[in-house]
Amino acid sequence: MLKCTINGKEVEVKEGTTIIEAYKEMQEDIAHYCWHPGLSIAGVCRLCVVEIEGNPRLQIACNTEVRDGMVISNVSDKVEEAVRWGLDFHLINHPLDCPICDQAGECGLQEQYMKYGQYDSSMAENKVKKRKVVDLGPKIVLDAERCILCSRCVRFTEEISKTNELGIFNRGDHSMIGTVKDKPLDNDYSVNTVDICPVGALTSKDFRFQQRVWYLENTATTCPGCSTGCSVSVYHNKEGAYRVKPREDKENNGYWMCDEGRNVYKFVNKEARLLSAKTLNSGKLSSVRLAQALEDFTSFNREGKKVGVLLTGQNTTEEYKAILEMFAGADFFHWKNNEEKFNDFDGLLKRGDKNPNTNGLIETISNLKDAKSFNASNYDLTVAVMPENFLVYEDYNEKLESLKASKNLLLFSAAKLPKMELKTENTWVFPLKTFVEKEGSYLNHAKTERRIQKATSIVTEAVALNEFAAAVSRGLKININHHESRKQNEFTNIPGQY
Amino acid sequence: MSELIKADDVEFIKKEMVRYEDKYSAIIPSLYKIQARHGWVSEDSVEELSKVMEIPSADILEVRNFYTMFNQKPVGKLHIQVCTNVSCAMNGGRELTDHICKKYNVKKGEVSSDGTVTVNQVECLGSCDTAPMMQINDKYWENLTNESAVEIIEKLRS
Amino acid sequence: MEVKLLTEHYDDKSFQGIEGYKAKGGYEVLKKAFKMKPQEIIDEVKASGLRGRGGAGFPTGMKWGFLPKNDETRYLLCNADEGEPGTFKDRKMMERAPHQLIEGMIISSFAINSPKSYIYIRGEYNESTAILRKAIDEAYAAGMLGKNIMGSGFDHDLDLYVGAGAYICGEETGMISSLEGKKGQPKLKPPFPAVQGYLSKPTIVNNVETLAAVKYIIRDGAEAYKKHGTEKSCGTKLFSVSGNVQKPCTVEVPLGYSLMDLIELCGGLKPGRKLKAVIPGGSSAPVLTAEECVDAKMDYEDLAAKGSMLGSGAVIIIDDSNCMVDLLNVIMHFYHHESCGQCTPCREGTGWLEKMVKRIVTGEGRLDDIDLVLKVANQMKGRTICALSDAAALPAISFVEKFKKEFEYFVREGKSMVTSKGAPAHA
Repeated sequence: MLKCTINGKEVEVKEGTTIIEAYKEMQEDIAHYCWHPGLSIAGVCRLCVVEIEGNPRLQIACNTEVRDGMVISNVSDKVEEAVRWGLDFHLINHPLDCPICDQAGECGLQEQYMKYGQYDSSMAENKVKKRKVVDLGPKIVLDAERCILCSRCVRFTEEISKTNELGIFNRGDHSMIGTVKDKPLDNDYSVNTVDICPVGALTSKDFRFQQRVWYLENTATTCPGCSTGCSVSVYHNKEGAYRVKPREDKENNGYWMCDEGRNVYKFVNKEARLLSAKTLNSGKLSSVRLAQALEDFTSFNREGKKVGVLLTGQNTTEEYKAILEMFAGADFFHWKNNEEKFNDFDGLLKRGDKNPNTNGLIETISNLKDAKSFNASNYDLTVAVMPENFLVYEDYNEKLESLKASKNLLLFSAAKLPKMELKTENTWVFPLKTFVEKEGSYLNHAKTERRIQKATSIVTEAVALNEFAAAVSRGLKININHHESRKQNEFTNIPGQY
Repeated sequence: MSELIKADDVEFIKKEMVRYEDKYSAIIPSLYKIQARHGWVSEDSVEELSKVMEIPSADILEVRNFYTMFNQKPVGKLHIQVCTNVSCAMNGGRELTDHICKKYNVKKGEVSSDGTVTVNQVECLGSCDTAPMMQINDKYWENLTNESAVEIIEKLRS
Repeated sequence: MEVKLLTEHYDDKSFQGIEGYKAKGGYEVLKKAFKMKPQEIIDEVKASGLRGRGGAGFPTGMKWGFLPKNDETRYLLCNADEGEPGTFKDRKMMERAPHQLIEGMIISSFAINSPKSYIYIRGEYNESTAILRKAIDEAYAAGMLGKNIMGSGFDHDLDLYVGAGAYICGEETGMISSLEGKKGQPKLKPPFPAVQGYLSKPTIVNNVETLAAVKYIIRDGAEAYKKHGTEKSCGTKLFSVSGNVQKPCTVEVPLGYSLMDLIELCGGLKPGRKLKAVIPGGSSAPVLTAEECVDAKMDYEDLAAKGSMLGSGAVIIIDDSNCMVDLLNVIMHFYHHESCGQCTPCREGTGWLEKMVKRIVTGEGRLDDIDLVLKVANQMKGRTICALSDAAALPAISFVEKFKKEFEYFVREGKSMVTSKGAPAHA
């Protein structure tokens, strides 16, 4: 360990730690644009300057390793002047179009400007004209005038995605990020470039102009898109979720997530969802209040009935435990997405197993049977839990169809269901909560526990399987106010919710 | 294998790729080869070169656009580059550029209507003792006057 | 007095070819070097006090000493990307004495145990390139390059790499990036090239003149070499003298030579003209006023004491017919054009400076601009990966500070103080 003094505080750091890492470790402020912990060091923005005792020249913290006994500061007048000017150099050709920029509110340039900005632009010159609204690929748009040429995105495509679509073309202040026309920015991880862009130069077509970020809350959770279970943040308001971004997690996903995972917010929003419980009424499914459907199911005598349960790896371990207990003695079937690709891995993050909790399912419920051998007509009661991320299940409709053969059907689905003609004796359909609406844990591919957290309530009538089981087994009365659809957490008296 | 890079050029490129310690070093010589063939290096040529060398096209385009000797658009038969850096500027390099432009009725960087002449200002060519000077294609012409420069160009044009 | 070591045979056309070169004792020093131990050569170069002749003036022997003491493959790169405005001495040498450079390179490679060297030559130097290619072929044919050179057991290959137009490739790590087939953008230091250079292997980059000087140091010995020059600035130096002198040319004089004598050596000023200023070390060196020139000595220390530098030895003589605002505009255009664009202060600052100076020179200047030029330039100093930002800032600061009246006049009157030149149409 090395001892050094940073802004007057003595700290110990590991050998090989750079000064900027030391600042980050002790959560001390330091300005920077080009440095990113997941990328190589570029040392070009020149903002992370520090004063080191005994050295007359300011040094950049990103490319200077801490040495024993170093006395380092970035709060001196000299450093502050350099940072102020460094910022001015960044701004002289920047359009300052924050009011119409998507990055406003989470922009590094804006943040530094509030802190160090000269508020009186010395620049009387015309700004260098560059291209606006450049289509870089199917998911990303570039505004070259906003770009501060930190090169993070270029390094990302070189070092992480290893796809090399991006370059910085030309010299000096005519330098411009871009692609060559035969090779657009289109890889499985491309939207990470938007996340790491410190300004509004790269924006995601999906999120562009959807929401002002300061109107969104974000919740730390786990991506349910595959068995990697990347740490992510979901950005949401009362209307629903708008985007998913990766959250730093050195052991699991580093700083990144795949583009596919970014879509997981799409199946949680209302327009894609089953909004209410349904029961069979003279051969037709019709909406009923959740409490009513619960009561209705509770009154069904399950004694001595042969039960078959169809499950995917898309629920939490807590839900599996509850369902196992509730239907003890039943046959449990494991339904997988695309069998041939189930064990695929792209070497970075993406896995063929598109379920966050396959291992949780396997470890919780022994003697799982293959869903291929599932036949609804063999059972008195069929319990089917449809996957929330149903698009990755190619045989989704086929499976749904096969449920028609059930004698009695208890169906859970987060997604809106197609019209179903049913000849079952009884059918109870319950809207299922998605990963943003519940707590719980997944066991990822490496059998590491990944937690999900409740971010918001989107479908107020939806239940998690464990909530459902608890309500049924305890015969609790559930009181739901349909009119206050935004009120969170209706099941406050059900164990497992907090 | 392609229209823009001829077979013998491909052969040259392949040789250059093993001449140096790393195949990337062959990018600059290959771009020179393409320019020798076409007079300039188009983005299409960059894409073809990318296939020949199996190097991402963005890496090659970065190189083409960084070095000023690679023409990013077609130039005239005579590419006249007049040095206008300090020593040449002090000795009439800028006036000489204007004179040539006027004489051939062409703006800096553009090709004359008959396709024979492109005039550009260029940074120091390391011939300050013979200022003002110009480079026409590969060759230096030194100790110029407006008249001698035009005489030289006229001779080369015909 | 001129002292002709490197330039002794410049006027002899046959010196360009290997036969003529050998007739004048060519490759004899290599023979001598092979009888020495590599470390002895390094020690001799260290003792000679030779400093890099490309611009930075770093002690050559010390640079060699930074190489790791192991068997890792190392490279020698000869910097022939002569691009500092006003400099043409290397071109002259490559055209008139190519074998002298090759011999110096083989000796240096032997000293640092490098199996492979490159001459990185700027793309515009077509004639020099052709002459060097021929000379390299001759050297291979004569067994001076290749396997077991002169029976010494030392193998060495030398290749030529042609740049493509970028001033920044004269910066040693920019050159390495370029040789690696990338944009010629300087690399972050540390690591320094001697530890991690070309393809991350230890690499020494030396200027053409430096490597040729090694030959003469080994030929005459460090002691004899040190007799030329001053105590701290040892040896001879090639100066490229241009601008307003009657006979612009390359001259070789001992370091410490008087600037005024150097001007006389080049024919002096044109009749009726007065000296106004001198840029003593290429366009990035701070300008000297005529008064400062009077007792200026052309060596590292004296010019540093005057706030300028020896740089590449490009001496640009400026007489009283010139408008300093106009010349600064030319210089600022150059650095703006050549900034590689990596580091923000340089990328944005060079453009900013040019725009301000251009505005002044077109009669659109504001009085505040003069101060702002100084402020911006000062903030560009010491803030970037390489020295290009400083190279742009230093002339800006020195021109404005030393010739402030001309700048103020231009802003106030909208025209140049130097009556013969108004606002040039090319600004």
